[in-house]
Amino acid sequence: MSNITYASINDDILKSLEPPGKKWAASLSVALTMLAMGIFAFGYQIRHGLEGSGINNPIGWGVYITDFVFWVGIAHAGTLISAVLYLVRAPFRTSIYRASEAMTVFAVMTAGLFPLIHIGRVWNFYWLIPYPNQRLLWVNFKSPLLWDVFAVNTYMSVSIAFFLLGLIPDFASVRDESKGLKKLIYTIPALGFRGTNHQWMHYMRAYLIFAAICTPLVFSVHSIVSWDFAMGSIPGWHTTIFPPYFVAGAIFSGCAMVLTIMIPTRMAFKGFDQIMKIKDLEAMAKMIIFTGLVVTYAYSMEFFVAYYSGSRYERAIFWFRPFGELKWFFWGMVFCNCISPIPLWSKKIRTNIGALFVISILVNIGMWLERFNIVVTSLAHDFDPYAWSMYKFQWVEIWITIGSFGWFFMWFFLFVKIMPSLAVAELKEALNPPLRSAK
Amino acid sequence: MSKEFTGVWGTFEYLDDTCHAIKELRKAGYQKLTTHTPCPRHEIDHALGDPQSRVPFFSLAGMFVGFTLALTIMTYMTLDWILPVSGKPVVSYPIMGPVLFELSVLMTIYFTVFGMVGLILRDTFRHAKPVSKRYRDYDRFMRDRFGVVVPCTAHDYEKVEAIFNKFQAEEVHREA
Repeated sequence: MSNITYASINDDILKSLEPPGKKWAASLSVALTMLAMGIFAFGYQIRHGLEGSGINNPIGWGVYITDFVFWVGIAHAGTLISAVLYLVRAPFRTSIYRASEAMTVFAVMTAGLFPLIHIGRVWNFYWLIPYPNQRLLWVNFKSPLLWDVFAVNTYMSVSIAFFLLGLIPDFASVRDESKGLKKLIYTIPALGFRGTNHQWMHYMRAYLIFAAICTPLVFSVHSIVSWDFAMGSIPGWHTTIFPPYFVAGAIFSGCAMVLTIMIPTRMAFKGFDQIMKIKDLEAMAKMIIFTGLVVTYAYSMEFFVAYYSGSRYERAIFWFRPFGELKWFFWGMVFCNCISPIPLWSKKIRTNIGALFVISILVNIGMWLERFNIVVTSLAHDFDPYAWSMYKFQWVEIWITIGSFGWFFMWFFLFVKIMPSLAVAELKEALNPPLRSAK
Repeated sequence: MSKEFTGVWGTFEYLDDTCHAIKELRKAGYQKLTTHTPCPRHEIDHALGDPQSRVPFFSLAGMFVGFTLALTIMTYMTLDWILPVSGKPVVSYPIMGPVLFELSVLMTIYFTVFGMVGLILRDTFRHAKPVSKRYRDYDRFMRDRFGVVVPCTAHDYEKVEAIFNKFQAEEVHREA
């Protein structure tokens, strides 16, 4: 840190905003191709209806709801890092929080698409909001699905506001370092910020309030998502362990996604490895270990409660998950979420970039499988055997899922070239200030 | 935007010099100072006498507005079209918890943002700043330099400049 100065932080971060190279263009092209696949598949679904997805009777929630819960989970880590770790003054937060916040915003934008895709007749989406529809019927406030509409929309609004608030001083830095048209463009979002004492005083107080308000919000959002399931009477869903289990799972997958996107970002831009140090990534790995243990404990508890409750339906579903037709999804989940993070107990692995990257991807896959297990297996085998069914993946939902990753990464690639991907002002705040007495 | 300005502004390379200069200026009777820093620094706040922001009052107001709004819309909508569910009360308070919380948070955040912007604008109008091109085009405040702006009359120019020079200001400019 000794050779890092206020000026060098500006220089390193502003270098990342220089015109993009071929690797960036190639990466964006891949993301756009994936997005085009998703758009095509969605167009097909609008034309032909939900027959293009694997949704059937009784499995009314399939890949789309799995994707929704997966992306909301990914969205969790950004606000956790920016708000909760800000309040506890975690030192490793500073270098990774901006990209994590961007990840949150893009992930929640992705998640928000899936209820619309899932409802089939997307043109009636406004029935979700409190608006008297064709029969002048208001929405049902007793339904957890409506609570989720409020939770996700509030989370999206607050995440975007928090993200943009943090960017204001950094846009001002970019403005002051730029010339010509670039200066003019960055002048607008900088909102006249010049680092005066009045600006910093109100800004920092607002930022602290944002962090304090966002902390319970982080825990509430995925708790409310879990109530979409836990408030139902379906075996495998109707359990009080869901809110903490979902929150821990969301932080687990979110931290893994932070590593998945930060490791290539760190390698792509010169000077970032000096700012985003191995120990910062190692701290994320430790959070993965902790939340992975919570998730493993929750998996075990589900089985124990199914046994101990004496409910034959609970016992049947928890027999079906590891030994039924969908067992590979269950064992894949166990391998990715419970076994693959074990090597992180070794410092050697925690500080190995390649190993961290591979484990982060495995955890992401595992968390998608976990949501698929929860959503689909419970609906496939509910109470009466005559109503049981099986889920068959269809190309439309697979392409739409691929498209969602294209959508997410498209925004991330644009972000790293348009906005400072590290927090300039906060990195400076974490440095020892220039003092004559220290010379 | 700002009131007509006369005074002196200077830039510093070091934070401790800036803090010493601010303290000395305040001791000499110059209270309406504007400072510039590349990042928030508590040392500057202490030198300025730890001024407090009123943003939390806006946040609190937002919380009350959000809570009231949620309670009102849920009660009104539930009574406007009565939808009995499993024999539960039509207006049931426990189920209002999540929406009450979410709308309270949402409104708190909006009020915080608008409160912050409003207070910054108010302070910008209250504290006159130089209008010269040299000041407006100075582009190192958000990079690596600290600045202090002192509104004063021509009579005080030399006194203020002397304080700036005592603490080794990098640049000192008069604004008439």
